[in-house]
Amino acid sequence: MSYVEVNNLAKAFGDSKVFADINFSISQGEFVTLLGPSGCGKSTLLRCLAGLETVDHGNITVGGDDITDLAPQRRGIAMVFQSYALFPNMNVIDNIAFGLRMQKLSEDEVQRRVKEGVELVELNGRESHYPHQLSGGQRQRVALARSLVMKPRILLLDEPLSALDARIRRSLREQIRLIQQDLQLTTIFVTHDQEEALTMSDRIFLMNEGQIVQSGTAEEIYTEPADSFVAGFIGNYNLLDQQQAKALIDVETNHQLAIRPESILIRTMSPSDGGNYSAPIQATVKSSMLLGNVIRYRMEAEHGELVVDLLNRSSERLVSRGTALELQVNLDEIREVA
Amino acid sequence: MNSPASPEQLAALEAENKPAPVAKKRRWRSDKLAAAGVTVPFFAIFSLFQILPLGWVVINSFKYDEEWSLENYLEILDSAFLQQAFWNSIVLSVGCSLLAIILGTAGAYSLRLIDGKLRSFVIAFSNMTSNFAGVPLAFAFVIILGFNGAFTLLFKSLGWIDDFNLYGFGGLLLIYTYFQLPLALLLLYPAFDALKKDWEEAAWLLGASHVDYWRKIAIPVLTPALLGTFIILLANALGAYATVYALTSGNYNVITIRIASMVSGDIFLDPNLASAVSVLLVLLLAFVTVINQWLMKRSYHEQ
Amino acid sequence: MNSNSNRIHYVVVYSLFAILLLPLLSTALYSLASQWGATILPDSLTFDWYIQLWSDPRFLQAFGHSVLICLAALALGTILTVPTIFVVFYYFPKLHWVMNILILLPFAVPPVVSSVGLLQLYAGEPLQLIGTPWILIFTYFTIALPFMYRAIANSMQALNLKDLMDAAHLLGASTFRAFLLVIIPNIRKGLMVSLFLSFSFLFGEFVFANILVGTRYETLQVYLFNMRQTSGHFTSAIVISYFVFVLIFTWIANRLNK
Repeated sequence: MSYVEVNNLAKAFGDSKVFADINFSISQGEFVTLLGPSGCGKSTLLRCLAGLETVDHGNITVGGDDITDLAPQRRGIAMVFQSYALFPNMNVIDNIAFGLRMQKLSEDEVQRRVKEGVELVELNGRESHYPHQLSGGQRQRVALARSLVMKPRILLLDEPLSALDARIRRSLREQIRLIQQDLQLTTIFVTHDQEEALTMSDRIFLMNEGQIVQSGTAEEIYTEPADSFVAGFIGNYNLLDQQQAKALIDVETNHQLAIRPESILIRTMSPSDGGNYSAPIQATVKSSMLLGNVIRYRMEAEHGELVVDLLNRSSERLVSRGTALELQVNLDEIREVA
Repeated sequence: MNSPASPEQLAALEAENKPAPVAKKRRWRSDKLAAAGVTVPFFAIFSLFQILPLGWVVINSFKYDEEWSLENYLEILDSAFLQQAFWNSIVLSVGCSLLAIILGTAGAYSLRLIDGKLRSFVIAFSNMTSNFAGVPLAFAFVIILGFNGAFTLLFKSLGWIDDFNLYGFGGLLLIYTYFQLPLALLLLYPAFDALKKDWEEAAWLLGASHVDYWRKIAIPVLTPALLGTFIILLANALGAYATVYALTSGNYNVITIRIASMVSGDIFLDPNLASAVSVLLVLLLAFVTVINQWLMKRSYHEQ
Repeated sequence: MNSNSNRIHYVVVYSLFAILLLPLLSTALYSLASQWGATILPDSLTFDWYIQLWSDPRFLQAFGHSVLICLAALALGTILTVPTIFVVFYYFPKLHWVMNILILLPFAVPPVVSSVGLLQLYAGEPLQLIGTPWILIFTYFTIALPFMYRAIANSMQALNLKDLMDAAHLLGASTFRAFLLVIIPNIRKGLMVSLFLSFSFLFGEFVFANILVGTRYETLQVYLFNMRQTSGHFTSAIVISYFVFVLIFTWIANRLNK
């Protein structure tokens, strides 16, 4: 049996339904991300798991125990909030120690565990600081330590990195993942940022409008989107309808075709990888953007627009607007989506 | 740090969880009930000493000789004396509020433009003198402006005045304005925050003169705050009792004095008539308060 | 802005200051004057009036009464109001507007008007409170309420109440413990400032004290009024003593606010 099992979970606020029938299971030590746009229900689902919201229907089992009706204090679950929720009147030590003191552990034991926590998140030297004296990233680390010292069965994180700037976000991401792997801690992470989901997770549950539309590893979701929503959400897929598919690359489809931008070559480079490519497509450059290590072109073809990504190598020169080019699509990498 | 809850800890947790966990929804509801219970003493005392008396007043304003009737209100319509009380109250309140607003506006405006130390001092001083109202203030004014007051004598000797009657309308206007002033200052000072310096510069660059700026930008922006403050001052003056009572021993005819004299004191007591007068006063004040709330919503004040 | 117009502002501010200061200064002078006849300045100075005042047992008793009543009213106010505001903010946020209307009542209903009803309701059975300090404690609570409510509500609003309570719950605290350990320490400052300001305000209250209780439990303000027939020097000493006492409290409130 899996470590965490959720069956037929339903939740509504008054008349508005958040989700109606959620089912999933998570193994011990797994890092799962709930990913989706705002309003898809991921935060509410997380809060139901924590016990901060009641569920209308269904059950939640952790390690064999049914925790559906338990108070949040008794679930053995810890949570890191988007707003950090650090207690402003307590310094770092007292914040981290709070939950331990609630458990009436001896003060020696409390101090020992707090010290471990501080070292784990690398906040040595800041123990007597108060939240208002810390930066956003530091506050988040305190919040993390406060949860980890509780030795929870599950760690929940509700968009913990959204309020931070990009550089801190990336470094904290790695830190969280490393700690989680070291501790083998079952973790559920909520975010709307697909890059975060892709880089951190063992598995991703992609949600939309109260339903889990696809679950799988990062690679699975990225290369095999289940439908046009997933394709539109993850990555920068080009979506071609029946007509466009036929006209541009001569492929029959009943639904839509999803094509990743990196699956399209610019004809000036002859495909040397022996791949199965379409006949050349005539297009003009509508816009070109340097994204750092990727150059992104928007190409205007006769039957539609295509986004093309190329690695920023010295062999590439940023081509200007209006230039006419020929494109070829790698037909092994296209995917039919509903 | 090792892995999450060991088997022993899990077992302990399970043992803790064994006694039937109450269904979440039921527990939350009983939590709410207990919480509501905590607030009972607060609402009880507030009701007993604020709401109930008001209720008594409203109900008994409609009772004459134990029967429901409008007699009390009719009596007010008939009584020139009571009507004079209303008139006096309104004129006094409007007058002192206007004066306080004018002085307060000038003061607040100038305060913003002087150096920080003097400014904070004057604001703190204003804060402190706002406590100087009621009986102490009345006595202080008697000392300086009474029949033998220092300033009365000074002005007399300078030939500015013949005789100053502190205990008439003029004196009351003066003393009321005095205790309204700190309040006006403290309320208006932050309102000038709304006037951003950039606006004046932008207007100037666009060709507006000083007068134009004030007429078209500053005053319209300040108006809600000015009106709001005026209304607070008005309410404050209408309800004031201690100052005028201490100064005139209850001999000047304003609404609050009339009400008090009909429920306590030596002469003819008529709590029901007092209630009717009270209801009218409260209506007046409620009207004024409601307007203030409405004005606050309409204010241009950025936060 | 040229220096000329700047000078005007200083003139305005200093004039304002002078106007506000004048009655105070005059009273202070009067309280220190042994004699001040129909002349502009007093004849000579003395501390006699203060000595006389502070050795008057009736004054000391009135002073004590005032302090007691105000402290009791504020203690009652704190114990009742803080938990109530918390409950409304946390459990019944939709009832906010009720509280906002309630605290407007003391403004729209002057003490004189309340007195009309209070005198009738509590003069006899079942609750005979008129003439006792209790009626003052309870009525003072109602008029201090708007000040206390504003300060406490503002402090609580500045906290992210829901998240803090959620975090505390998950860490094992009950709602009550979280309230004590997390909420109260964070509203302490706003509460203290409002307490000092409210104390000053209550200390100067006259209406309820005179109409509902009068000399049966004489407070400082009533005492002052009852002394009006005595020497003006004596009453000035009372006024200044009162004012200095209140000054200290508002000064402390000011410092706490920094």
